[in-house]
Amino acid sequence: MTDDNDPMTDGGTDEEARTDGGPPATVPPDDETPTWSERKENSQGLAQLTYQYFERSRREDEDLRTESTYVERDVLGFPAWPHETIRNLAIASFFVGMLIFISALMPPHFGHPANPGSTPAIILPDWYLYWSFGLLKLNPLNPELAVLDGNILLGNEFLGIIAHGIVFGAIALVPFLNKGSARRPVEEPFWAAVGVTGVVLSLTLAALAIQNFFPFELDLLVTLTFLLPVLCGIITYAVLKTMREGYMYDLNRRYYMLRPPK
Amino acid sequence: MSLKKNDEMDHNAWLKNQDLTVIETAFLTTLIWVDKRLRIVDYLELLETMYYRANLQMPKSHTEQYDLDNKFWYWYPLYSLGSLSIIAYLVAAVSGAMLGFYYSPSTAGAAAQGDPTAAYDSVVLILQDVQFGFMLRSIHSWAAQFMVAAVFLHMLRVYFTGAYKEPREVNWILGVVLIGLTLFFGFSGYVLPWKQLSFWAAQIGVEMALATPIVGEWAAQLLFGGFTLGQATLVRMYILHVFVLPFVVTSLIALHVGIVWVQGIAEPH
Repeated sequence: MTDDNDPMTDGGTDEEARTDGGPPATVPPDDETPTWSERKENSQGLAQLTYQYFERSRREDEDLRTESTYVERDVLGFPAWPHETIRNLAIASFFVGMLIFISALMPPHFGHPANPGSTPAIILPDWYLYWSFGLLKLNPLNPELAVLDGNILLGNEFLGIIAHGIVFGAIALVPFLNKGSARRPVEEPFWAAVGVTGVVLSLTLAALAIQNFFPFELDLLVTLTFLLPVLCGIITYAVLKTMREGYMYDLNRRYYMLRPPK
Repeated sequence: MSLKKNDEMDHNAWLKNQDLTVIETAFLTTLIWVDKRLRIVDYLELLETMYYRANLQMPKSHTEQYDLDNKFWYWYPLYSLGSLSIIAYLVAAVSGAMLGFYYSPSTAGAAAQGDPTAAYDSVVLILQDVQFGFMLRSIHSWAAQFMVAAVFLHMLRVYFTGAYKEPREVNWILGVVLIGLTLFFGFSGYVLPWKQLSFWAAQIGVEMALATPIVGEWAAQLLFGGFTLGQATLVRMYILHVFVLPFVVTSLIALHVGIVWVQGIAEPH
């Protein structure tokens, strides 16, 4: 390639090959086309960073593969055909069969036509939205959230919508709060307890949604809605912690049986 | 290079020289015919490569290496919940398409308040006159319930086995989005028959939208077609239920499963 930076002192012998400002507007012959490694060296900024990162990650992969203690399988894994296929077919057929069976046994109810003029006594969504409906019935909490002279800060319905945002946001945040390689609930009693709290909270919120069916006062129900989940969480924590202590006791006992203290 | 046909490329002559059965001849003739037009041999080669890659000797998984199956076997049935929700989704899609032949999203035909509308009447038609219609609606409804239940339990399984952890955050968030969409799928389907409970569930939806500051009125217009319920609401819910959500949810499920494929199953330790 012609060198751009070379000042042309002789008054333009290859003036034709030049455009106004850029490099020569000619296609480089084949033997001058930059190879990939040359392009990599010539690239700047983001492109160069990308190349560097790719190289690093490829090297990391290579290292992991060579240094891995993983044992190769001595067989070609669980065969997709016929073993896995038949197992999947069996599970799928059983599931669809159960679905059809239950559909035949318990067809859904079909109510009266819509009447904008008369509000029914009980308005309910499908069961899977009960928790969401329960979140809309948190208005007994609203006055307690008020700070200024007992004025209600948020509309009752907007409080429910914010609660939805909090629920979805909290769930989405979980993987960023809890890291590490622990997998079983026993390994992390705290996070298992948080999970149980959430599950029980969704159940009690569902109960709050159908509050008409409960024979006791609303205040008590609202209290229970938030008290029960925490209680279940604490119990879960205690149980899992105890189980873990038990595992540790077993491990320690084996250890001391092997190497008795002097 | 001449443009004359090379003798080596005369596949038909090559075919004649071979001693082949009828089936083999038919297969090769078809293959050559298609390949001349679409060059499928390249794709077959790709497939072959993929086949051999998939059957490579894989490293032993954590569970295999440390022989942990005896400890965690009771988790394993729960690992099928994700695919069960997809199966329920497929059943709902097929039965829903068949219901769609008879359903009409219209509030016309009610002389007075509380009279059955065209939408309600079309569901009554499905229930009473269409062959197998009663069962079809039952299957569609139960498939939806099964799907939501499976999706919820799937989330619990992923949570309690810690499968959402570090390299899998994106898929967890995708799953949260999918749960929200599944619930909205159910909600929009609940509204369609335009029965009393459908109407008042939609009413709560509109009120929730309107209670939200700034974006609320816009959302009510977009999803419910106005601040009061009527024909516009029904048509919007219908289009969301049978056109928008199926495309969005199906592609997100594909992405969700694709990421699992790339990242591998998170096994318990």
